[in-house]
Amino acid sequence: MSEIERYIAPTELAEAVEVLGHGGVTIVAGGTDLTPQINEGRRSYDATLMNIQRVRELKNISLENGEIRIGCLVTVSQIRYSDIIAEHAAILCETANCFASDQIRNAATIGGNVCNASPAGDMIIPLLVLGVSVELASWKDGAMQIRREPLNKFFTGPGKTIRHENELLIAVVFDQPSDNFVGQFRKSGPRPALEISTVTVGIGGDVRDGKFENVRVAFGAVGPTPMRGTVTEAALEGKTLNEDTIQAAVLAAGQDASPIDDIRATTWYRNHLIGVFTEELLNNVCQN
Amino acid sequence: MSEQVAFQHIEKTSLIGKRIKKPDAPAKATGKTRYINDMVLPQMLYGKILHAGRAHAEIISIDTSEAEKLAGVHLVVTAQDTPELRLGFVKDNAPLKNKIRCERDEVAAVAAESEAIAAAALKLIRVDYKDLPGVYTIEESQREGAPVIQERFPDNKSLKFEFKAGDLAQAEADSDIILDDTFNVHYVTHCCMGTSCAIADFDHNGKLTIYSQTQYPYNYKMDLAPALGIDPGDIRVIQPPTGGSFGAKLDVYPFEPVAAILAQKTGRPVKILFDREEEFINSPTRQPASMHLRTGCTKDGILTFRAADVEMDNGAYTSWGATVPVIMMRTTSGHYRVPVVDFKGQAYYTNNSYAGSFRGYGNVQMTYATAQHMDMLAEKLDMDPIEFRLKNAQKSGEYTPQKSYLRECALAECLTTAAEASDYVAKLGKYTDDRKAQGRYKRGIGLASSIHNAGGAKIHKSDGCGTILKMDDYARVTVITGASEIGQGIDAVIGQIVSEELGVPVEHVTLVNNDSDLGPWDVGVHASRTTFIAGNGARRAAIKAKKQILAAASKQANVTAEELDLRGGFVVQDKDGAVVTKLDKMLRQMHFQPEPDVVMVSDYYEPNSEPEGRDHISDHSAAYSHAVHIAEVVVDTLTGEVKVEKVTMAQDVGRVINRMGLEAQMEGGMAFGLGFALSEEMLFEEGRLQNPNFRDYKVPTAPEMPEIEMHFIESDCEEGPYGAKGIAELPTIVVAPAIANAVYNATGIRFFNPPMTPEKVARAIWEKKNA
Repeated sequence: MSEIERYIAPTELAEAVEVLGHGGVTIVAGGTDLTPQINEGRRSYDATLMNIQRVRELKNISLENGEIRIGCLVTVSQIRYSDIIAEHAAILCETANCFASDQIRNAATIGGNVCNASPAGDMIIPLLVLGVSVELASWKDGAMQIRREPLNKFFTGPGKTIRHENELLIAVVFDQPSDNFVGQFRKSGPRPALEISTVTVGIGGDVRDGKFENVRVAFGAVGPTPMRGTVTEAALEGKTLNEDTIQAAVLAAGQDASPIDDIRATTWYRNHLIGVFTEELLNNVCQN
Repeated sequence: MSEQVAFQHIEKTSLIGKRIKKPDAPAKATGKTRYINDMVLPQMLYGKILHAGRAHAEIISIDTSEAEKLAGVHLVVTAQDTPELRLGFVKDNAPLKNKIRCERDEVAAVAAESEAIAAAALKLIRVDYKDLPGVYTIEESQREGAPVIQERFPDNKSLKFEFKAGDLAQAEADSDIILDDTFNVHYVTHCCMGTSCAIADFDHNGKLTIYSQTQYPYNYKMDLAPALGIDPGDIRVIQPPTGGSFGAKLDVYPFEPVAAILAQKTGRPVKILFDREEEFINSPTRQPASMHLRTGCTKDGILTFRAADVEMDNGAYTSWGATVPVIMMRTTSGHYRVPVVDFKGQAYYTNNSYAGSFRGYGNVQMTYATAQHMDMLAEKLDMDPIEFRLKNAQKSGEYTPQKSYLRECALAECLTTAAEASDYVAKLGKYTDDRKAQGRYKRGIGLASSIHNAGGAKIHKSDGCGTILKMDDYARVTVITGASEIGQGIDAVIGQIVSEELGVPVEHVTLVNNDSDLGPWDVGVHASRTTFIAGNGARRAAIKAKKQILAAASKQANVTAEELDLRGGFVVQDKDGAVVTKLDKMLRQMHFQPEPDVVMVSDYYEPNSEPEGRDHISDHSAAYSHAVHIAEVVVDTLTGEVKVEKVTMAQDVGRVINRMGLEAQMEGGMAFGLGFALSEEMLFEEGRLQNPNFRDYKVPTAPEMPEIEMHFIESDCEEGPYGAKGIAELPTIVVAPAIANAVYNATGIRFFNPPMTPEKVARAIWEKKNA
């Protein structure tokens, strides 16, 4: 473990972003991934440890002009009990409901879950289904600059993203889903809590006149990053959801995913579950 | 004062069977309890052990010089500094190792000013290893020319057990059905909430005080002494509150003598405390086993024989794990009427981790096999499954082939009670029919039963327990017992029993049982024995005290002692409860007189049982008990997830003593069995544990616990306190095969190799469907 030389806890976003610009900064928010990773020796602290928890403006969920914005410090528990989210993006509440345990949900932040970029990161799947973008803030020429990137281009490998070291992920934003939007999430494991995902599947889209449109499909823990299932999306887009469509989507899901064997599951089981969950979720969409 | 009480009458009431609160529960629930893990002694150093992290290797060289130079490091030791010290069941283990035989092996140890410094020092120790070919399965261990693990055992064979009764060939010939299956049970571990910890401190006279989580403080001294080269008499064991044991602390493991060696050499107290990952890797496991079981019966459903050939992975060293056939054979031979028995058990050294004692000791393993065979036979016979079991169930007064005397046998009552309460037979038939129908979710119901010792187990020279009881001038009682409290609740039970006999409030009974310099001998917390043995001891001591008090009171009241009783803090007339005098006043009068009569009594209770013996033909427990579990499950045939919705239990408890403690034991014990059946598994790859964490080693969580319906059968054991029998292990033993039988009922698939994980179940269903 390297030594922390400086601890800083800014209250203003601009200050946090400026500090980040100097380099050599470890950001701590909820700490639920950082702490075990440090303890296991998978990460080490940089010279500056910056606690961003005091930046109030990053803790809000808002709906303005048809855009929903979730600040990076919003906790999984906040999402679980948010009226805005329950009304417009219930799939996030559903996911929050089976995320780790109460204690972790109370501490873990949405920004942290996204930046940790685990292939098994639960909250990422519904975010991909909602088509969110991330806002990345950096300090340039004495001012804060913000760029937006779609989340499905954000991940580059396990634990790796396109975020630069001097950038702070400040929010996830997405268009308010239409009234016809249906989103479904499924996670493996018999435990109602404290389960690390073997496979997660998220499916969302607008159901109009019996047809499934603007379909987004996302898979977790079946490849090096959380991923959109483009083949599956194509198999579903604009189709009437019937048994043939669903079976075609199940086959497509098998093409999208490239799971591996590890101590949690074999490739066979992961592939099997992807099919089972895809079918299950599409049946649920039908029932809705 | 006496005017006030003169007309008072106190009715005779009993606490037996009532719900008694565990005295330490509030402190434990609120975080006030100071566990051994929290303890800090003045001048204490922190010890840390360098484990090999490889399964089989020679140590070419160890360079500790850099570690020694680190500021704050007081000492680094290796096996070079501690020659000829041995420990373990066959003394094949040592505190520090010259050669690596498993991942856990202790290579060096550091004592430093802080845990962080000790950890940093470990990283500076340079060890040169020469890796050796390893042995990771029983087959590899048996192979001609296999690498030798322990030089003293060149054929890699460790302990062996045998029991035979009757003519097997004849029994086979007499059988209409013979089942022949191999069950493989896996590695699981205790997962005590309090990780392993020891604090060692030598005084100037060379006497060691060891603060320990041990559950057998008196024989612990005998096992620890040779690992230190000191006399067992020079060891004092103090047992601070401990976060669970469940058998894990029924032996001495290397970290304990290592703490003592560091303390001895530094002259300072030394504490070793495992973190969770160290705990997973370096703690004992349950003994895994491959059990080849053959069971025969006639077409009328009468059992003809059981033949069990059990092979066990001993791991690199021998602790209590490899001795589990002692109990396995009692179930093989004694559960249901089995006229002919052929039991063999053999342990083989490998480079894997090694097993210790674990709640259910051997019987969790064996019952997983026998209870499934009973289920399979009932189906093959096409006989009512309860009728089949009742036909073979023993009755009170029968002996098993090993001469276990089933004086009070309530097996039949357990079977019928559980079956009726759960509507077992009807559901079994319905779910069998439903199996063929369409549908993702399938229901199943399964029954399993077993027998276990319920009055201790005389595997040592004595299975006794000493008790010292004294009363002070204020009628407060102190009981000094040999029985340890490791969370199981003997504190509540002894308070209850003493209160029952002496008519004082439970809160007025103080238990002293955490210091081997004070306590009289006890064999330890194991074999579901403590309420039975220590409870009997406490009761006998209390009765002696009562006699002494009533004798004194009878002189004063001019009546016979038999006409008096102790109730509610008073001496009363037995017939109508009329108060004679206050108890504290009586005690002061006894004390402060020319010939003082102070209440200080002692007792050593030795149960009426016979030593196990080499031939294993003995009534080794003072009582035996049965339990039946019926599990109701829902299987998701696509994901393979098994949800246990309900467990109906019927257990012969002899007599309920503390109902609250009993219920908690049933729930907790069942949770162990649930994890064993469905989710818990230590995954080893070439001797190295792959999942040393709660993320990937899945202990059941609260929402996974099924609804539990308990039926306590009170057979009124002649030898037990108030008729009670030992109860703690059966709930762990019986639930897993009940679940396996239920999963079979739901899916038509037998799981011979637990755990029944979602993937394993899904795969089996998928393969059956696509065969």
